[in-house]
Amino acid sequence: MRSTRVITAAALSAALALGACAPEAPQSGGGTGGGQEVTDATLTIATTTDVVNYNPLVGNSRSDYWITNLMYPHLLSIGEDGEKEPELAKEWGYVDDTTGFYELESGLTWSDGKPLTAKDVAYTLNAVKRDAPAGTLYGQLSNFDTATAVSDTRVEVKLTKPDASVIPEIGFWGNVVPQHVFEPAGSVAKFANDGSDGGWVSAGPYVLTDVQRGQSYTLERKDDYPLVEGGKPKAAKVVYRVFPDVNTEILSLKNGDVDVIANSLPPAQVKELQNTEGVTVQEVPGLGYAHMTYNMTKPDLAKTDVRLALAHAVDYEAIRRVVLQDQAVSTGSSPIMPVLKQYYDDSIKEYEHNPEKSRELLDDAGYKANSEDKYPLSFRLIYSLQDPVTTQWATLVKDGAAEAGITIELQGLERNAYLAKTDAGDFDIYAGNFAIMDDPATNMSLTYLPGGAINYSYVDDPELTKLIQQAQVTFERDEQVPILQEAAKKVRDNVYDNVMYTQNLYVAHRSDWSGFTVKPSELLSIVNPISVASATKSE
Amino acid sequence: MTTTVQMPQAQPEETPPKASSGTWRRFRKEPLGMIALVVLAVLVFAAVAAPWLADYPTGYGDRVLEGPSGAHWFGTDSLGLDVFAEVVWGARQSLLVAAAASLIAIVFGTLLAVVGAYFKRVDAVVGVIVDLTLSLPVLPLMILVAALVGPSTVTIIFVIAAFSWPEVTRVVRSQALSVVRMPYVDAARLMTSSPAWIIRRHVVPAVMPLILVSVVLTASRAVLSAAGLAFLGLGDPNTWSWGRILYEAQQAGAMSTAWWLPLFPSLAIFLLVLAATMLSTAYNDARNPRRNR
Repeated sequence: MRSTRVITAAALSAALALGACAPEAPQSGGGTGGGQEVTDATLTIATTTDVVNYNPLVGNSRSDYWITNLMYPHLLSIGEDGEKEPELAKEWGYVDDTTGFYELESGLTWSDGKPLTAKDVAYTLNAVKRDAPAGTLYGQLSNFDTATAVSDTRVEVKLTKPDASVIPEIGFWGNVVPQHVFEPAGSVAKFANDGSDGGWVSAGPYVLTDVQRGQSYTLERKDDYPLVEGGKPKAAKVVYRVFPDVNTEILSLKNGDVDVIANSLPPAQVKELQNTEGVTVQEVPGLGYAHMTYNMTKPDLAKTDVRLALAHAVDYEAIRRVVLQDQAVSTGSSPIMPVLKQYYDDSIKEYEHNPEKSRELLDDAGYKANSEDKYPLSFRLIYSLQDPVTTQWATLVKDGAAEAGITIELQGLERNAYLAKTDAGDFDIYAGNFAIMDDPATNMSLTYLPGGAINYSYVDDPELTKLIQQAQVTFERDEQVPILQEAAKKVRDNVYDNVMYTQNLYVAHRSDWSGFTVKPSELLSIVNPISVASATKSE
Repeated sequence: MTTTVQMPQAQPEETPPKASSGTWRRFRKEPLGMIALVVLAVLVFAAVAAPWLADYPTGYGDRVLEGPSGAHWFGTDSLGLDVFAEVVWGARQSLLVAAAASLIAIVFGTLLAVVGAYFKRVDAVVGVIVDLTLSLPVLPLMILVAALVGPSTVTIIFVIAAFSWPEVTRVVRSQALSVVRMPYVDAARLMTSSPAWIIRRHVVPAVMPLILVSVVLTASRAVLSAAGLAFLGLGDPNTWSWGRILYEAQQAGAMSTAWWLPLFPSLAIFLLVLAATMLSTAYNDARNPRRNR
């Protein structure tokens, strides 16, 4: 019925840091590789974390996603502007308001020779709904009822109520796993899939064959992979090597010990590597944002004037210029970023950096500054120590607030402690970022509806709730956009969220490698399966 | 009888000034010891005089990751802040943590040591606790505690102190054990029934030189531990410390490209630890001239 209308939304909580990968027709990426192509080369990729989960439905670390995405395909992929693109599914959409469908590519097989059919897709979705593994896919299934394989290449999805974004969402966030391997293992939430039972089974371009924990993960080519040009991945082997930190990764890349650094580069290192011979730096468009939320369950932060005072005390321009080295763009303090061209509203303006205004707001709200010009306001700001960019700008936020007479106490936390405190609401101000926020309707429902999974400001504004719910069931984009823009303005004006920028990332690879396909976000970047399978080395 | 009692009483009161002035005379002849003392004095001076030496590094600067120059002696970091100012102000935090943590460790460690040495029954328990604590993997536990409680200066001080006292206890206890067997301590027992008085007047003064050496060594180890924790991101993010400069350089991926970032704070840590070790060695030699001559 609504044909293949792509309404997508995928709010990626920093907490879950979920990734998705999506092959598409290969384009020539960067690189200056000329000369003879090396056949059966080995592509060595640097990462800083070990694989925690080999089960793509559970997933946790970046390495989990990068490696499992080379084995378990997604139904849909994503473009630079957040639009969905075909991957395993060549068509998708709605039959009626409560029935969606995916039409799959034919001819894909698992590495053990079994065909990949609609039954695997239906099994994956139903099993995730049943076992509730802790991943983003499960979060997308709230209005999902059941999936049925109506033929070998068609899956139909029954919904519990109309939802304009569930079909593209599931397609983008879900990996498809082999039914004949996962079903005998019982619950998909508990299955480790660690290869202890005869290795891994892959329908992606590569299959994991050897694991040296703390050192390397070796994947070998799967000879037939129809989603890449020529039907066969170019590099014979892909080796993920684990490094202690980004400094050692950079040294190894310069020495030629590794071919690609999978993590995005620290902003201050981009220029240096761009000028390094033999190294190519590739820009990866951002599709998420960095933000601060003010915990509105705290009496002071429940006041709009206090939140506005905090928002006006931040020097956003300096943060983007110094910390991010101008590698970020303002969203105008709106949760709808400029990269989402169809939704962006350029009439929404960023909070002006003006500590004097902050003081006026606080004076008007009845706060009295003491003899040292300080207000009786002190807030605890939490952030993850594993996020170097946020760690840097957190100090600028603190300094800015001090100018306005507000005390901010920084609490940088180890990642797991940070996630636990975030979930428990144990903070005054939360600083973090979302990797992919591609559909405003879904994002806003997760971030601003009462009880939303990533509603870290604990906002509960009935008018905003009404707008978001209306947008969710509005299938035509022309009607949906003004509703979402009105909601975004509300968020900005009431400081329900303080969205600071979209960061454009940079990744580096050796110049003798070329043919990478760039996809948005650090999770896809140039290590998405199509890109890895298309990369070639020249002599 | 009275004379025998008075003798040991007078001894500790009279001898320390003599002993210490002799120690100081011999210490001045130890060139390494004097150099160490000067280095430590310079570091302490930098810490105390930080407000006059450099502005507190805050906010940001526009000249990011620039090498040492006339304007920035130690270069700038990835936020454009002056590294010299960071090292100077970092000396404050590093020395504060060192002093506070070693003070707590020394007081607690010495107390347990002398009480254990004096009361045989307590000694067994203290010995077991010390052995147990010494056998724990210290760094992982420090990381765990600092991560769970959350990084702050107070946390760091207590975490380091909590894992430093057993060394002090062990060293001081061995000396205190031989002291409590001395005849003058036995004689003191005849004078009073108060063990606290005997410990305070006779045992503690006898182990004092050892405590002084322990203070310096524990403090230098505390600086290393604090820098280690800060380097792992578990330092106080609200204050500059040498470990934090290293940590931020590592986070910014600037270790390999901006050599001045890791060099200067590392140099400060190196100088402090080396000077502390040399000072304690020189002091020990000066106090006990027969040992090494």
